[in-house]
Amino acid sequence: MNLTERAKQIVREPLVHFLVAGALIFAVWGGGSDAADRSITVTEAQVRGLTEQWEAQWHRQPTPAEVDGLIRDLIKDEVYYREAVRMGLDTDDIIIRRRMRSKMEFLVAAQAENEMPSDAALQQWLDTNPRDYATAPALSFDQIYVGSDADAARRALAQLDKGANPATLAQSLSVPPKLDDALSGDIDRQFGDGFANAVGALPPGRWAGPVTSGFGQHLVRLRKLTPSAVPPLAGVRKAVENDWREANRVARENAAYQALLDGYTIRIAKP
Amino acid sequence: MKLPMKKSLAPGLALGIALTALAACQRTGSMNGKTDADVKLTAYPERVYWGDTHLHTSNSVDAFAFGAKLGPEDALRFARGEEVTASGGLKAMLDRPLDFLVIADHSGGLGATQALYDAPSLFIRDPTLLRWHDTMHEGPQGRLKVTAELIDLAGRNALPAALNDPEGQKKRTTKIWTTHSSIVERYNEPGKFTAFIGFEYTLMPRGDNLHRVVMFRDGKERTDKVLPYDPGQGDTPVSQLWDYMDAYTKTTGGQVLAIPHNSNVSNGLMFEMVGPGGGPMTAAYARRRAAHEPLVEATQIKGDSEAHPFLSPNDEFADFGKAGWDIGNLTMQRLTTPDMQGGNYVREALKRGLAIEARTGVNPYKFGLIGSTDSHTGLATGDENNFFGKHSGVEPGAARASAPQNLGNTQGRFGWQYLAGGYAGVWARGNSRSALFDAMLRKETYATTGPRMTVRFFGGWDFGKDALKGDWVKAAYVAGVPMGGDLSGPKGAPKFIVSALKDPIGANLDRVQIVKGWIDAGGQLHEKIFNVVWSNPETRKLVGDRLTPVGDTVDIATASYKNTIGAPQLATVWADPEFNAGQKAFYYVRVLEIPTPRWVLFDVLRYKAKLLPGTRLKDQERAYTSPIWYHPKG
Repeated sequence: MNLTERAKQIVREPLVHFLVAGALIFAVWGGGSDAADRSITVTEAQVRGLTEQWEAQWHRQPTPAEVDGLIRDLIKDEVYYREAVRMGLDTDDIIIRRRMRSKMEFLVAAQAENEMPSDAALQQWLDTNPRDYATAPALSFDQIYVGSDADAARRALAQLDKGANPATLAQSLSVPPKLDDALSGDIDRQFGDGFANAVGALPPGRWAGPVTSGFGQHLVRLRKLTPSAVPPLAGVRKAVENDWREANRVARENAAYQALLDGYTIRIAKP
Repeated sequence: MKLPMKKSLAPGLALGIALTALAACQRTGSMNGKTDADVKLTAYPERVYWGDTHLHTSNSVDAFAFGAKLGPEDALRFARGEEVTASGGLKAMLDRPLDFLVIADHSGGLGATQALYDAPSLFIRDPTLLRWHDTMHEGPQGRLKVTAELIDLAGRNALPAALNDPEGQKKRTTKIWTTHSSIVERYNEPGKFTAFIGFEYTLMPRGDNLHRVVMFRDGKERTDKVLPYDPGQGDTPVSQLWDYMDAYTKTTGGQVLAIPHNSNVSNGLMFEMVGPGGGPMTAAYARRRAAHEPLVEATQIKGDSEAHPFLSPNDEFADFGKAGWDIGNLTMQRLTTPDMQGGNYVREALKRGLAIEARTGVNPYKFGLIGSTDSHTGLATGDENNFFGKHSGVEPGAARASAPQNLGNTQGRFGWQYLAGGYAGVWARGNSRSALFDAMLRKETYATTGPRMTVRFFGGWDFGKDALKGDWVKAAYVAGVPMGGDLSGPKGAPKFIVSALKDPIGANLDRVQIVKGWIDAGGQLHEKIFNVVWSNPETRKLVGDRLTPVGDTVDIATASYKNTIGAPQLATVWADPEFNAGQKAFYYVRVLEIPTPRWVLFDVLRYKAKLLPGTRLKDQERAYTSPIWYHPKG
């Protein structure tokens, strides 16, 4: 890797963006009003800014006297700000400290939000977290509700084994008697947590159970089980991108903080 | 290499947010790349979809000030079933995902407190705003204090002018609105999870709550053409909101509806007998109201608005979620007097609608019912054992149940009086914006106070003998009308099919009731509650109109209950024994669960919370369906 390539790589590195941006904040906030400097220059742009702000608030142009007042106030802000910094008043002020922290955090977050991930990055994310995007298992089965008593349910199952008509054994319950390719989550939301798993574990092709739902006991005939599968990236791209973005933002924030933290020696005395 | 970096990054400091918004705009399209048209609709609604139409995030002026750190993205992830970290630091997750969500941040001052919080104090000229800015930065207590003042001043029409700065607010609103809609699009997944674009219209003259959630059927490409409508402070007519909605429909070709909520703290103004200005309501006005507001949010964290014991002395269950809420308006600036109660509750409004219809020919209050949370935490929690509070200042902890919790500066309400939530059940033909929205227009919806019980309700004359056997739902759609529908006679007494299935992971059912309201020949309004089917019928009998109570298995010490009483399912076919073919009437279903522990008991168990005497420890949670209306022909 030659020097130019390395420089390019460094420039692409988000952490560098963060640190440079951080330095710039310092330049803008600290350097623009250097506490040691005792000259103040009010620029045309600043005056224009003050005027626009006034207009936004009062919906008319400020009079020349009002403009002078705004400028005097700006200078007063600046003088007091510099003297306050000189006296160290900024160091023990909780509001200023929180404000600065939130600005630093915001910088990282805003950058992460702007980044467009490559297909490779998303594919890697999908490969690392396949379970988050896997389709749910799908089940096809018939079921009858036989009330709340598990023993009675077992007796009913014995009758089914002898060829009894399921309809004559079923008690009324307004859940579907027959489901086709139903997703496990949809099954659980109708029957209660864990029902799909329990049905999936039954021997296929014949009446079995009982399986407990939120309503009581069921006898179930499993007809088909389609296991869960991980779809190609194209099918889940937006979901992957959403998650990648969120994780990226958090990772950025942590890394940026860690980079700064690494420059510090920390000693903690616990009482 | 450094110089170009500076050029690109230096403006980033000041314009970071603008860049973010721009980048967000480029990423449109739904989560799975599908549109509503790709969702295969069933022939009739086969399943109920659960959602919250009323969730606030840190973009709401009060939610942020109360300490909410969770924005729309966290809110959507949470509603979809993912774990997020709540503003107070606790991990939060739903037992079961929701099927849809409407983030409805206040249009008034959208993002204003966040902007105020973020503004360098250098630029804040208004002394009140500067004080608020500094107080908010002092921490959670400071934010609570500012929010109380803010709500109070909004109710008094006395917010600092700088906060209403229209130009600045417009810029801020546009940025937040379009960024927000981009995020919503990203999480909308037709067929699986529906993310709606919406906002809350927060009209509150003198603290009387006239709030509405406004929700759109459409995506960002249409909703970005408008801004969320803000009525400002003071007393402006609600018809201006309808004008806004009409303008949206006309200019974009889209669709939008409004859902009033918290009529319970409106001091009688939500469901008035009169029109604007106090004269008799006109047919034209009634028609506009009914057309723009097909649904009402009947229950939520800030109390229940179905009925009140004062108006319904024979209803032994009308006191649910009333304590604290029936004493004054939202901010407690004005106390509630008995003459105001009639305009505060849904059942009374449904009756009033019949009276206004008798006079004008149009029923302004012909609405369906839903529940929702109105949570200001970004967390759409509806369960008693998972209540994250009205706002982020009262996330789970030892103190909240017994602390005064007011939404203004005036005292009067306590933490325990807040309810754990409410959800909307929607019978739609699929899970998409268009399918759910259209079901809402049909009023094929019901409210629950949190549990997800499955409730069917049909009316008609042609149900067969096997009305509850086999594939009866399909037949019922052919032979009758579902909840939200109309029946026209005269063909004798209609029959009603009602079927209620318990929440599969919740409590058994106590009973199913049909609530009837009607107007007699003399124009008098009446109501009656019929117990139509109940659990343990072998031991529980009707005495007059009253039924033996179901019992109580709640164990206070462990905040638990047992399903040893009640029934998993209650279903019946019922005909009104007092039917009078000449009287206009409505019928809706109320389903009651067996008693279960309230959220306060979980706070005792988990945080050793100390409760005040009189704290309500358990309740019978419930569902209210949209009514079916009966009209004599002629």
